[in-house]
Amino acid sequence: MPVIEVNLEDFRELLGREVSIEELQDRLPMMGTSWEGVTEDGFHLEVFPNRPDLLSIEGLVRAYANWTGARTGLRRYPVEKSDYKVVVDKKTQEVRPWFVTAVVKNVEFDDPLIRSIIQMQEKLHVTHGRRRRKVAIGLHSLEPIEFPVTYTTKPPEFKFRPLGERFEKDLTWILGEMKTGKEYAWTVEGFKEYPMILDRKGMVLSMPPIINGEYTRIDELTTELFVDVTGTDLKAITEVLNVICVTLADRGAEIHEVHNHYPDGKVLTTPSLDPWVMELDNDYVNHTLGSEFTPKESARELEKMGHGTEVKGNVIKVKIPSYRADIMHPIDLVEDIAIGYDYDNFEPEIPPISSEAGEDPLEVFSRGLRNFLVGLGLLEVVTFMMSNRDKLFHRMSLPEEPICETDNPKMEAYDSLRNRLLPGLMEVLSTNKHHQYPQNLYEVDDVVVIDPSTETGARSRRRLAIALCHSSASFSEIKATMNTILENLELQAEVVEGGWDCFIEGRRFTAVLEGKPICWAGEVKPEVLERWDLEMPVAALEMDVNLLFKAHVG
Amino acid sequence: MNPREVAERLHENERKVLQALSGGGTATTEELSRLTRLARDAVEKASDWAATKGVVSFKEEVSQFFSLTDEGSVYADSGLPEQNLRKLLVHGPHEIAKLKQTFQNLNIALAWMRRNGWADIQNGVIQLTEEGKIVGDSSVEQVLRALNKPTPQSGEAFTEDEMTVLEQLVKRKLVTKQEETERSVAITDFGRQVLPELESAKSANVITQLTPEMLVNKSWREASFQRYDVTLPAPSLNPGKRHFISQVIDYIRRFWVELGFKEMKGEYLELSFWNFDALYQPQDHPARDLADTFYMKTPHSGHLPDSKMMEQVKETHENGWTTGSLGWRYSWDPEVAARNCLRTHTTSLSVNQIAKLTPDDLPAKFFSCGRVFRNETIDWNHLAEFYQTDGIVIGEGVTFRNMKGYLKAYMEGLGVEKFRFRPGYFPYTEMSMEAEVWIEERGEWMELFGAGMFRPEVVKPLIGIDVPVLAWGPGFDRLVMQSYKVNTIKELYTNDVGLLRRAKLWME
Repeated sequence: MPVIEVNLEDFRELLGREVSIEELQDRLPMMGTSWEGVTEDGFHLEVFPNRPDLLSIEGLVRAYANWTGARTGLRRYPVEKSDYKVVVDKKTQEVRPWFVTAVVKNVEFDDPLIRSIIQMQEKLHVTHGRRRRKVAIGLHSLEPIEFPVTYTTKPPEFKFRPLGERFEKDLTWILGEMKTGKEYAWTVEGFKEYPMILDRKGMVLSMPPIINGEYTRIDELTTELFVDVTGTDLKAITEVLNVICVTLADRGAEIHEVHNHYPDGKVLTTPSLDPWVMELDNDYVNHTLGSEFTPKESARELEKMGHGTEVKGNVIKVKIPSYRADIMHPIDLVEDIAIGYDYDNFEPEIPPISSEAGEDPLEVFSRGLRNFLVGLGLLEVVTFMMSNRDKLFHRMSLPEEPICETDNPKMEAYDSLRNRLLPGLMEVLSTNKHHQYPQNLYEVDDVVVIDPSTETGARSRRRLAIALCHSSASFSEIKATMNTILENLELQAEVVEGGWDCFIEGRRFTAVLEGKPICWAGEVKPEVLERWDLEMPVAALEMDVNLLFKAHVG
Repeated sequence: MNPREVAERLHENERKVLQALSGGGTATTEELSRLTRLARDAVEKASDWAATKGVVSFKEEVSQFFSLTDEGSVYADSGLPEQNLRKLLVHGPHEIAKLKQTFQNLNIALAWMRRNGWADIQNGVIQLTEEGKIVGDSSVEQVLRALNKPTPQSGEAFTEDEMTVLEQLVKRKLVTKQEETERSVAITDFGRQVLPELESAKSANVITQLTPEMLVNKSWREASFQRYDVTLPAPSLNPGKRHFISQVIDYIRRFWVELGFKEMKGEYLELSFWNFDALYQPQDHPARDLADTFYMKTPHSGHLPDSKMMEQVKETHENGWTTGSLGWRYSWDPEVAARNCLRTHTTSLSVNQIAKLTPDDLPAKFFSCGRVFRNETIDWNHLAEFYQTDGIVIGEGVTFRNMKGYLKAYMEGLGVEKFRFRPGYFPYTEMSMEAEVWIEERGEWMELFGAGMFRPEVVKPLIGIDVPVLAWGPGFDRLVMQSYKVNTIKELYTNDVGLLRRAKLWME
């Protein structure tokens, strides 16, 4: 989630009052952010991805002033009429179909504003923009642009002068050589022609979402802007355009409309900074929160979150500001009421609901086994479920078989799910050679095996494994251990010779219950001990707890 | 303590040692071993005990032993290189270049000749100095020869001058020195007072270990028990024991059951559908990114159930269906939902459970406790798998205030003193909430876990009606770390046998 840096002086100036860092540290989280620590001249704050409007300091102060009651209710953002025209070429519809724009005048680009705008643009690109693929923002100096502006595509050999370069470069060079080109080339991968924004003279404003042209470079003297937002999702780019426009308007800028002509003949006039309306039933509010707010009280909390309200009987007509991207259901307004009222002010209460309680029977059975094994003097270990083929097969001298493997592991040692517990016990023994023997260990936990009959093609199984490791660990000891477990479960299994290859031939067996193997045991082969770097004999077993459970309950 | 009492407290072996010393008064442990017919370590142990009771004392003598290194024994046989060269030069100067081809260990020889002042080199020619001409067979060679024997030689055999030479040879790595400390045991004056009491103590037939034979033949009736110093240290045992994480999990299970919750179970390897889509996470949501989630190579994808529920989830993502929501407004892809992954939260079990319920099953309360997976590079503070315990309460009339009620109980159950609930964000809850604990040492709040009420867009497609659901998914590793004074999360899962044997029992 995005973390923004806030300058305390800027914050105070915009808020119009003194405010201490302690107050902000305590209160801002209760407004729905996460405090990330104090900096030299301010603080770091994590903003939730559903609130892009808080990514600028202007937006943050707007929300804080509302919430603390200094300025509540809906703020109007007028948009001036104009005849700025933009044409969207049909060719863009296949690659990056959406394009919305605005003209902003009377901007005063001082340091705090530049800081804020750059940070907001960067964070919007990462989160809302899904690293510019879904949404990309371009800010341009309005002055050199001759309207109408065209949004079209150009072939790779097309040339223009990208921001920061002294000469014209072709698009292939930009994507292959420039830092920003290389970083965002993935967003246009596979395109035959690349998106391009040009003015009437054919001068390039931008190659979205890669880089702007030098032509419309902004500097400290710039007072008029052309803002473009391109992307793959009209809803998302509209929200972003609105957030940018209100941020600039909060600094005193004038917003002017632009008419975006689409190839199907439709004209989108943007930005539209008018609120939209959702009706909220006050019973729904109280029913969900466990509160007893009157409609008026609910409305007051909504106003603290920047909404406009009109109460009609039990229904609140909520006017939602254009920059609030997260409201999609009345429940979102209920949350705003809860935040407005402050989570701290709701009295906790456990409801008198009676319902059936209890643990899963296999868990109860497993706990019985775990406690019983402690009585045999065994020490329980809890190992990772993730493992790899080397540990599961090669080091165990076991033949490879299909297992559940991940596609994108970050570490080779943990790229698959275990299909047996025993390799994990061997690994624990190999890392504990400096401790006193005997080391008699057990684990009762799950493995995951391939099973084409399930929804996913895999299934988890509960297993029990024991490794006895000391100077006289033997076959008879491990067999006696199995017998003791089975006896105490009132089960009898047939022991047949043979079993897992990790055990010494002639000293290994499989125990069979109702025709199914429930236990594999034996003395571990010395070559396996060598591969785990152990100089101490091990006798071990692994049991199928699902089958034990089934047989036990009958 | 008087001599008689001490005599009674002496172990059989201590008594033997003391008696063996009654003649000469002093003996080495080796001699004592012979005299008492006890093993050497038994003698040493008995002497240690006896010393704590003041009946014997120790004398330690250090003796030095010298032996040749491999290099030293070569020189002992064929002479030191510098001496060999000197002998050659007695017959006249030599050119270094020529010597290089014929003379072994020339560099060593040259270095020592120069250090001893035996030779000059000019224009590549070496000749002896006056001193070099008069030195004869040096004491160095005598010492080397004296050491050229199969066993190490005691330092006592050498004169003081020879010892100086020996130290030089040790530095030159031709000789190694070993030191042996011999301990001899001497009876003290007090020990001599105890000695006469031994007979009567012995005749009283002192029992060290009570045996079945003594009980059968009733000889214990005529005996007394050797008195022990009960304050002496004894070692601890290595217990058979539950892993501490496993003890905590038992506790958490019991906690939820006592609050009236029923356990839900599910799979580790899960359809993306249950991990994400059923939780109303849009398919391009960053949380579904490869960076955080393990997707499967085998089995790569699963089968979505062909059901009304599936259709409802699709509709809800695309346009809100009948939930009253606008939806995410994109085209939902069943193939993305069918992709297998390792569950990133046990919340996947919660939605799975809700989908199994009918309105007749309500109200209901469920919990789960199990492992979840994150695609992390493992280091001291990040693990690829850890435990989570999810809870849901579903039923008409459950409220936000109820959620605060349950979570307050959970925090108090785990012994957290100062905590708060602040707004949070999850795509599938509204209200969303973060539980935070106050860390006094750092003077700040620390996030502990997330909670919330499932969005109508999550609940209605699964069960068919809009009904409130409280949900939370705390991990508990941080609290276990605090309780077990473990500083890094990895230590919880290293299975260090020493730590497991020592770790305190979770007695709650």
